[in-house]
Amino acid sequence: MTITIRVPTAPRRSAEVAPTFTVDGPLAGLKVGLRHEGSWRSWMWIVDEWTDLLRADGAEPVVLEAGGRVGDEGVETRAAVAEWVESIDCGVSGLGTCGSCTSNSVHDAVSLERAKKPAVVAVCEEFETHGRNMAHSLGHGDLKHLVLPYPLENRPEKEIREIANEYYPKFLEVLGVKA
Amino acid sequence: MTLFQPTVEVDDDLEAFYELSLAERWGDGAPLLPPTDARVEARLAATPYAPDRVLGELPPQYGTLTVELAAINATMAGVAPEAFPLVIAALEGVLAPEWNAYGLTTTTSSVHPMVIVNGPTRSSLGIDFKAGCLGGAAGRGSMTIGRAVSLCLRNVGGQRAGESSRTVFGQPARFGLCFGEWEERSPWRSLAERMGFTSDQEVVSVHGGKGTFPFADVNNDDPADLAYTIAKTISFPQNNWYLELTGESGQLVLLVNPMWAERLGGTFPEVEDFQQYVWENAWQPISLFRPTNADVLRAKGRVDDQGRVFLCSRPDQIVPVVCGGLGGLHGVALTSFVQSELQSTAVVR
Repeated sequence: MTITIRVPTAPRRSAEVAPTFTVDGPLAGLKVGLRHEGSWRSWMWIVDEWTDLLRADGAEPVVLEAGGRVGDEGVETRAAVAEWVESIDCGVSGLGTCGSCTSNSVHDAVSLERAKKPAVVAVCEEFETHGRNMAHSLGHGDLKHLVLPYPLENRPEKEIREIANEYYPKFLEVLGVKA
Repeated sequence: MTLFQPTVEVDDDLEAFYELSLAERWGDGAPLLPPTDARVEARLAATPYAPDRVLGELPPQYGTLTVELAAINATMAGVAPEAFPLVIAALEGVLAPEWNAYGLTTTTSSVHPMVIVNGPTRSSLGIDFKAGCLGGAAGRGSMTIGRAVSLCLRNVGGQRAGESSRTVFGQPARFGLCFGEWEERSPWRSLAERMGFTSDQEVVSVHGGKGTFPFADVNNDDPADLAYTIAKTISFPQNNWYLELTGESGQLVLLVNPMWAERLGGTFPEVEDFQQYVWENAWQPISLFRPTNADVLRAKGRVDDQGRVFLCSRPDQIVPVVCGGLGGLHGVALTSFVQSELQSTAVVR
């Protein structure tokens, strides 16, 4: 004897993948966005280093501190992200080194990509799969990921700044910058 | 009644279905009831909503949550048909943008929906609000409604620990947590009333709770001293609120036992008085934090000119709920994930 039961699962959102964009040109003259959440000191030090390096390369860095995601803070954050997206030519959103911060970093990078601008999400190695899953869930499965070492946090500032310099060329490469 | 979900044949044996649910990863590890059409239709008959009504897309993988899928998962969880509308209300809360399911279902935190029930059907539905209301009282409503929400997150949202969810520890409440307020023993307006509903309405609130943090006291005779000590207890240094740029978002649900509630109600006749007093004492001196941590808090502007680090920004973020047994002594904080706003939804029958 058998019984018939109903399947309790739903398919995940459509696997449709939105287009991605690359700089495909020189860096000089571009406004490059750097987004952080004010939480990971390691990432803020990297943003700090990259800000200087971008300026030295003739680009204009535009740093965004993305705040809370709900309530009045959420309203302010969404407005700030929209303004940031509008003001830049391309950008990097980070840091994905926890669950929700990866999700939020991906979310804001996707906002950039939806504006048809080159976007990169920075994630630590441990959270790369999670970042790609979340990008897929948002319909942007091909979102470009810059994968950084894990863990970054709690390393000495000097070491983080060295990592920032080491990964800067890779960041530009993922963004699609060409000489 | 027309149902839309695909069907599967399984041996007419509870253990066979249990094994299938484990193999298909439909469950939480504990036995489930087989969602036959008769059982699913019994739940659907308790709601005015059509089976194909879409409640929303449930993170993290954004599966489309229909009323039918909610009923199937509620059936598996063992939800009584008459309690199914509470599951719908809870899921509507989880789907509210300000509840932030996108962040909560994927975080490394332990956070999970904690379901709080107000209204006249608490007892008849087996919603525990007296002794052992957070676990052990064994009311059918409490043990199944929260579980149904968890199963929907798992099976429709695709939330799975170590995969789509990066939770480090999880928590026992991820099986499902649902309890009621002992409104009759509260000196204050109920949670539902404070959220804008009337006392005769069935209301389900969903809190993004990191965990159940218990504390105890026998040494404070003055209710204000008790409230002061509660305030200091819930503002422990590694509270999530101290990780944030500000303390403006989120709530901490403060479970107050009826004996404490009676004492506190004498000193703080209005719940807002109690919330105000707890909030204004819910801070720690910056000297409590080690130097690097203190620097971070200063950089975020979290330290006031008197060297105090307030837990959160407003009294209404401390949310008292009276429940628990008459043994007194104990309180529980359902600590906040912060990036989530508590949602209350009226039950629709």
